[in-house]
Amino acid sequence: MSERLFLTVIVIFLMAVGMSPLLFMLFESMSVDGHFSLNAYAEVLQTDRQWTLMRNSLTLASAVALLTTLVGVPIGILFGKTDLPFRRFFTILFVTPLLVPPYISAVSWSNFFTHAGGFSFQFLFGLPGAILVLFTVFLPVPMLLTIFFLRSIDPSLEEAGRVFASWGKVMRGITIPLIFPAIALSFMLVFILSFGELSVANFLRYDVYAMESFTQFSAFYNFKAATAAALPLVVAALLFLWVEEVFLHKRRVGSHAHFGREVQLIPLGTFRVWLFLSVAILGFTIVLLPLITLLIQSAGLSHYIDAFDRAGDSMLRTLLFGVFAATLLTFFGFFTGYLIHKRTLKIWRLADAATIFLFALPGTVIGIGLISLWNTPWTNFIYAGPAIIIFGLLAKYTALTSKISAVQLSQISPSMEEAAQVSGAGWFRTVVFIVIPLAWRGLAVAWIIGYIFSLRDTAVTMLIYPAGQDTLPIRILTLMANGSPELIASLCVIMILITLLPAALFWLILKTIIKVSP
Amino acid sequence: MKIIRLNSVSKFYKQSKVLDNLSLEIEEKERIVIVGPSGCGKTTLLRLIAGFTAPDTGSLFIEEDLAARDGKIIKEPQERNLGMVFQDLALWPHLSVEENIAFGLKARGVGKVERKERIKAILTLVDLIGYEKRKPFQLSGGQQQRVALARALVLEPKILLMDEPLSSLDTALNLRLRREIIGLQEKLGFTLVYVTHNEKEASDIATRLVKMDQGLTK
Repeated sequence: MSERLFLTVIVIFLMAVGMSPLLFMLFESMSVDGHFSLNAYAEVLQTDRQWTLMRNSLTLASAVALLTTLVGVPIGILFGKTDLPFRRFFTILFVTPLLVPPYISAVSWSNFFTHAGGFSFQFLFGLPGAILVLFTVFLPVPMLLTIFFLRSIDPSLEEAGRVFASWGKVMRGITIPLIFPAIALSFMLVFILSFGELSVANFLRYDVYAMESFTQFSAFYNFKAATAAALPLVVAALLFLWVEEVFLHKRRVGSHAHFGREVQLIPLGTFRVWLFLSVAILGFTIVLLPLITLLIQSAGLSHYIDAFDRAGDSMLRTLLFGVFAATLLTFFGFFTGYLIHKRTLKIWRLADAATIFLFALPGTVIGIGLISLWNTPWTNFIYAGPAIIIFGLLAKYTALTSKISAVQLSQISPSMEEAAQVSGAGWFRTVVFIVIPLAWRGLAVAWIIGYIFSLRDTAVTMLIYPAGQDTLPIRILTLMANGSPELIASLCVIMILITLLPAALFWLILKTIIKVSP
Repeated sequence: MKIIRLNSVSKFYKQSKVLDNLSLEIEEKERIVIVGPSGCGKTTLLRLIAGFTAPDTGSLFIEEDLAARDGKIIKEPQERNLGMVFQDLALWPHLSVEENIAFGLKARGVGKVERKERIKAILTLVDLIGYEKRKPFQLSGGQQQRVALARALVLEPKILLMDEPLSSLDTALNLRLRREIIGLQEKLGFTLVYVTHNEKEASDIATRLVKMDQGLTK
């Protein structure tokens, strides 16, 4: 199969899985008895409640985006650019809340404040609590993007400044302006993720717009109203796509070829100890404290036995879905990343834009789209089986694995592939025997990220899971209504372990292999 | 026979013209060296002959067969029966010396026994017997250079393209390898198209010298 044909098939498949449900949903919402009508949109968007919810969502998303950027960027600089002690450990520590379902953070904080009692408990339920929880969940986004962009800067640009200026001046005049795209992008990314997040706001009883589409569908089973309610969320996702286009495609900071070159670290000098203590206190407060509370509450073998009794099947299913989805995400992400990197087909930009758009779109909207497309007598085998969950996860998270693959591929010299071509190898042989072995580290990272995000997902799976096929995050959400706090805490701990342990084990194996390979 | 023929070839990158209505004929078994300053279009010319890119206008013939014309590649790189040594050598780091050389033979369906024989012969020719199992990073610069040469030559190409292959080596090694390349070309009889910006290196190797400047030959 030729390169162009194979990549076209991959793009068509991804479009069919991700974009066609949305287009179908849009078409359905504008059709009444076979005629074009915008009544559903007019009805939904003209109510006062919509605007109140919209205001709530905008307030929450803006506050979270602003806070995470203000704190995350300096932390990213500290971890990625200075000689702060234990910076790698801190990076892992701060990333942890992003790796588990966001509502688990909400449960942890709720447990913590319940123990603290009184005023503090009231504080959590409402806007301040939602801001606090989403701040801890999304803080790693600006932090990681800052670290990533710092490493992509050509060291000689800073060295040229260091010849006649101090580190402070170089940072202000050269480094920070160069990473400005990362700052803008992370602000927008956190904004969009907070805008579409509903499990935390729902748990903390703060009404947000993302809930509206979900409610219209799940409570009233009104597809048209649910689609109409999703419109502002689609607009927000398109806005993100525009920002990504402006800041990542048109203002590329540096070449990935600089990865691997040693980053020049800024010596913190006398501030080293104070900054270390500040970061340690912050890490303890926003990451460890809620986790410790969760562990204390779940302590006791009986709670864990109960947890396995009530959700053992969901745990197994979660693992299976996670492994399967991660493998498919890696496969499709690799070839989409390959297309984006090589730009073999003119539709590369469409594939790139579509995957980013779907990632930015709230999972509930994707879920409603999938149901409206596949819930027919002819396609029931997809709708009623695990395939619909896998489709949903592919639609939502291929952007992550394709971006990782594209970055990894950009670090491989084009001459590697060209040398195989002049040796007489066709495209497929070149990809299998040359490109994939050279890109395997990136593929392994893509698999881990795919696995973690498939496991932590609630937004997509909440709507589309077939009867009796729920995942652990969904089972925990359902048990919250009538399960004891100890049971919920135990399930949350198990969920964290299921997510992090296999990923950490895989990473450790990977590190060992990297150490013994060239 | 004209083994390579370029007719009025032009190539653009964004707004700038990298090759400007260039025509060139290369005879069989010639050692043609293309020399010129950085950015003059010599690597683009080589990549065009290799088949990694197509001329925006004009046509390219290899062994009298049309290989590319007016933005379209007609013969893919693997169909042109040529070898190439890249500036960065492009040795696959995950494969051993033997595997690097065997890759092209396997791709062309050469059987195991013949493959072994040909690898042994080419390693003898480039003086690398005993290094079969080593990975590229376990070799010196000169040895890596020879592996790249062996990998290209084992396929018995009629044309060998070399893109500044010696630019990263010290003077002594550079001089020695120049002589080895000439020796191999005389022995095996392939056509050599060699790109460099070093005029001394060019005049040492060439049986014909082509000077390039701003996309034009002189």
